[in-house]
Amino acid sequence: MILTRIEASGFRNLEGFSEFGAGLNIFYGDNAQGKTNWLEAIYVLGNTKSFRTSQVRECISFGANECLLRGETLRGTVEKQLQVLVAESSKELYVNGKREAVIRYIGNLDVFVFSLEEMSVIRGEPKERRRFIDRGVVSQTPAFLNTLSRYNQVIKQKNRLLAEASKSNSPERFYNQVEAWNEQLIDLGAAIHDGRRDYVERLNLVLDENDHGRAIFGAERINLRYKSQLEGKGDIDRYSELFRERLALRLRTEVAAGHSLLGPHRDDLEILADNREVARYGSAGQQRSALLLLDLAQVSIYTSTYEESPVLLIDDIDAELDRGRIEALLSEIEGQAQTFVSTSRRAIADRYKDRASVYWVDRGRAIVDSGSGKGNIEPSESERSREHTRSAGDELEQEILSDG
Amino acid sequence: MLDYAEPVTKLIDELKRLPGVGHKSAQRLAFYILRADRAETERLVEAINEVKEKIISCSVCNNITDVDPCRYCSNPARDRRIILVVEEPYNLVTIEKTREYKGLYHVLHGALSPIRGIGPDELKIKNLFERLRVEEVEEIILATNPNTEGEATANYLSKLLKPLGMRVTRIAMGVPVGSDLEYADEVTMHKALANRHEI
Repeated sequence: MILTRIEASGFRNLEGFSEFGAGLNIFYGDNAQGKTNWLEAIYVLGNTKSFRTSQVRECISFGANECLLRGETLRGTVEKQLQVLVAESSKELYVNGKREAVIRYIGNLDVFVFSLEEMSVIRGEPKERRRFIDRGVVSQTPAFLNTLSRYNQVIKQKNRLLAEASKSNSPERFYNQVEAWNEQLIDLGAAIHDGRRDYVERLNLVLDENDHGRAIFGAERINLRYKSQLEGKGDIDRYSELFRERLALRLRTEVAAGHSLLGPHRDDLEILADNREVARYGSAGQQRSALLLLDLAQVSIYTSTYEESPVLLIDDIDAELDRGRIEALLSEIEGQAQTFVSTSRRAIADRYKDRASVYWVDRGRAIVDSGSGKGNIEPSESERSREHTRSAGDELEQEILSDG
Repeated sequence: MLDYAEPVTKLIDELKRLPGVGHKSAQRLAFYILRADRAETERLVEAINEVKEKIISCSVCNNITDVDPCRYCSNPARDRRIILVVEEPYNLVTIEKTREYKGLYHVLHGALSPIRGIGPDELKIKNLFERLRVEEVEEIILATNPNTEGEATANYLSKLLKPLGMRVTRIAMGVPVGSDLEYADEVTMHKALANRHEI
């Protein structure tokens, strides 16, 4: 699928429209001119959410009441017109001028973003990694979101109950109730554990194929290991039996602790480069390439599932990636998927101008580059450290994916 | 100064206490009442007073009723060997509408929810066990809602009931009729598969 055109009004600082090529499209320009805003507009048009904020209404530009994005997509020979209208408390979606429910709208333009905010998957808390896997599982099995949401509800209820029990003079009065909640926890927890483990296995298969990492970046071999909290406590392949056994064994401990100690909300994902934990031993550049390899693996799973390429966004491509790795990444993607890249370096735009459509972004306008001389612009400190909110997800999904 | 004269403000404030009624709806309802015939408003007042005076909870099954025991509990045609447990009186009405079920009921008036401060003592569980002591019950059907709270309640009750020796069943769960398999989650699908039957 490709996006041939997008038009924005009332969306951050964007002005006018842009028409795109089927391959590589590069936005470059000074800081705070709107490069990332164009990527964000494409993301919102496809996914109806933003990757920079959990509240898409924050995209409405100052002084406007609503923002409107209109785009044209092409899949094979099928053209479609998509439209997203965001107001303070509403979001309307249209396909070919007809209003659609979100479930019918999604899937017309699937957009994946590779951005620096995602580095928290490598460097951040385990919950960031669980969210990363969960997003992947949800993209394969949308109903997984429902399972996660029910699991989180049960954990919340159980935590409240355990807190109450721990303060009580006769905590054993609560055992029956805790067990009643545990029954559901076992079913839901096993579905989550198994779903995540299967997905991680699929990612590993892709990463192993042709030794993906080495082939692209000439360096590390990346693979993953889903690290269940119950590992080493018994037969992990029969998760629900093991989970039941452990919950029974630790009932008293949980009651004494006053909160849930067991379950997949305590699991983690190990990301290994040449069998060493990349978060601990990898350089910044290695960490960013590891993340890109994971992202590419997710895209590859998407492509093989749906037999179609999604649209890719790479925000701030030069951040933490050297010239060689940028070249390797773009060559890997070339010809596979329509890709939008933002950079503040003129040199990158220049280097690819024969293979890409290049847009100079100035005060919100994307101007097709005619090769006029702009200086070599380095990203400033403020641009690097600009504050971003968490990536992806509308409010509900945000809450669900972030676990209890 | 108040936006409206005191009696109107009072009425709006009282209406706002009702579930699902916000400020705007309360205002609209208040003005409707203000303009309505005296006879109409009196009927409303009377209806409210009547439910408060005449409706009581059945001393056997806790269903809302105007006679005690309620019409289900006192009906000799109903099968006294089966008790179906529901959360709310309106759940009972839904089941009754099917005309398939001929046994007795028990209304819990809620479901376990530690977050909302509802434990077993807040539910009408005690008099269920009193009934079991007096009556010859062969089966208990747990028909609490298929959400997390209803499930926990059913699990809790079954833990207590099973040792008493009667048959304890849970209503079947799975894909809803008239829906699409695409929208069923793994756990629902898992339940639907586990409860599958020959056709």
